[in-house]
Amino acid sequence: MLIWWTGTLLEIIILARGYQQRLTRQFPIFYAYLLFVTLDEFVRISFYRWDPNHYSQVYWVTQYICLALGAGIIFEIYRVALRSYPGAARMTRYMLVVVFAAIVVKTLTMPSGDLFAWLASTSLVLERNLRIVQALAMLTLVSLFVWYAIPFGRNLKGILIGYGLFIAMSILQFALWYYSWDRFKPFWTYAETSSYLVVLGVWVNTLWSSETLHEAKPVNQFESDYQSLVASTREQFRRTLARLGWVVRA
Amino acid sequence: MIPSLALTAVAVLAIILLLLSGRDDECEERAAKGQVRQQTPQDNVQPAGLVRRIFSLEDRDFIRGIQSRELQGLFLDERRKVALHWVRQTTGEVREIMKRHRLISRQSANLDAGAEVKLFFRYAEIRFLCGTLALLVRVFGPHVLVNLAAHTSEVYQRMGRSLPKVASVSPGNLAAS
Repeated sequence: MLIWWTGTLLEIIILARGYQQRLTRQFPIFYAYLLFVTLDEFVRISFYRWDPNHYSQVYWVTQYICLALGAGIIFEIYRVALRSYPGAARMTRYMLVVVFAAIVVKTLTMPSGDLFAWLASTSLVLERNLRIVQALAMLTLVSLFVWYAIPFGRNLKGILIGYGLFIAMSILQFALWYYSWDRFKPFWTYAETSSYLVVLGVWVNTLWSSETLHEAKPVNQFESDYQSLVASTREQFRRTLARLGWVVRA
Repeated sequence: MIPSLALTAVAVLAIILLLLSGRDDECEERAAKGQVRQQTPQDNVQPAGLVRRIFSLEDRDFIRGIQSRELQGLFLDERRKVALHWVRQTTGEVREIMKRHRLISRQSANLDAGAEVKLFFRYAEIRFLCGTLALLVRVFGPHVLVNLAAHTSEVYQRMGRSLPKVASVSPGNLAAS
């Protein structure tokens, strides 16, 4: 109970600081998610205590709203981080389409061949699969952020690390559940609670104060000509390859 | 299949998040302040003569002529260092070229994803070649490629000598017979 109250208290602190620092305007979906999660805990406990017959329905409805808001967080990370980088944003959209297409193709080539059957065989499996899709989207996003050296700033980096850790723990839980849930259940309760506290700790630390993201400096006219840039890079690579060829012909 | 996919996804996600948490914004700061070194295609041009000299057999044969094992050992050791330095320098330049490209292209509204993917593969190819070359030089010495090329040429010539009749048979002769 103490751990539960600690978690709730941390959530309230993050929300209060976010409102105070005007971070709620910068990351509206993230704060909506956190507000929903905080209220959701009280709603679930109330149903569990006073109307246990409806607890299961309330749990799944609120869980799917959380999942939808979670997908919104990924979109928000993409929107905020790439606001000043249209080229990187374009590449990210392209890569995300490729990743989602690969998931669909992979699913259709499975023995059952039914995307919806794969997604919704049970509520738990659906949640696990949606979390995997979220993880893949996040992986793509982070890989491209690292590749294009996109500056995040403290706040966005905190949201990204915290939510990434949360998704990773969720998927791990589902994977363990698939193998042998009874064996892991006693340890998992502690692992899950402490990891969620770590996530909240990361958010309290990184979202304590607002940090302005540096706007990208516009590139000069010569550099803004993308075709010239590609031609120049290609030419430099060609020269390097030629140089490597000299080694063989030495 | 799904659990293994899930565990892989978690592992990769964890690694990337670790990388992300340790990443400093120095590079981004430099980019934001416009301090990325302006590199022209001439920057990475090195005289072919220098490269050929580093990897050629000419100097080695000269040292061999002196017939001093100690000198030969010293020469090979030094030449290996020079060759590795050259490979590292080339790798560094390629990395710099790609970095500059990325830092500029990320702001291009008309970025072409196909061209980016092609450039990425070309970059990966060069990095792979440099890595392989460095490994070969480290293990077999700076003259490994020249020795390999000479050996291949010798084998080819030997094969040609041992199969004179096959080599001289042209499609026209076959048709006539």
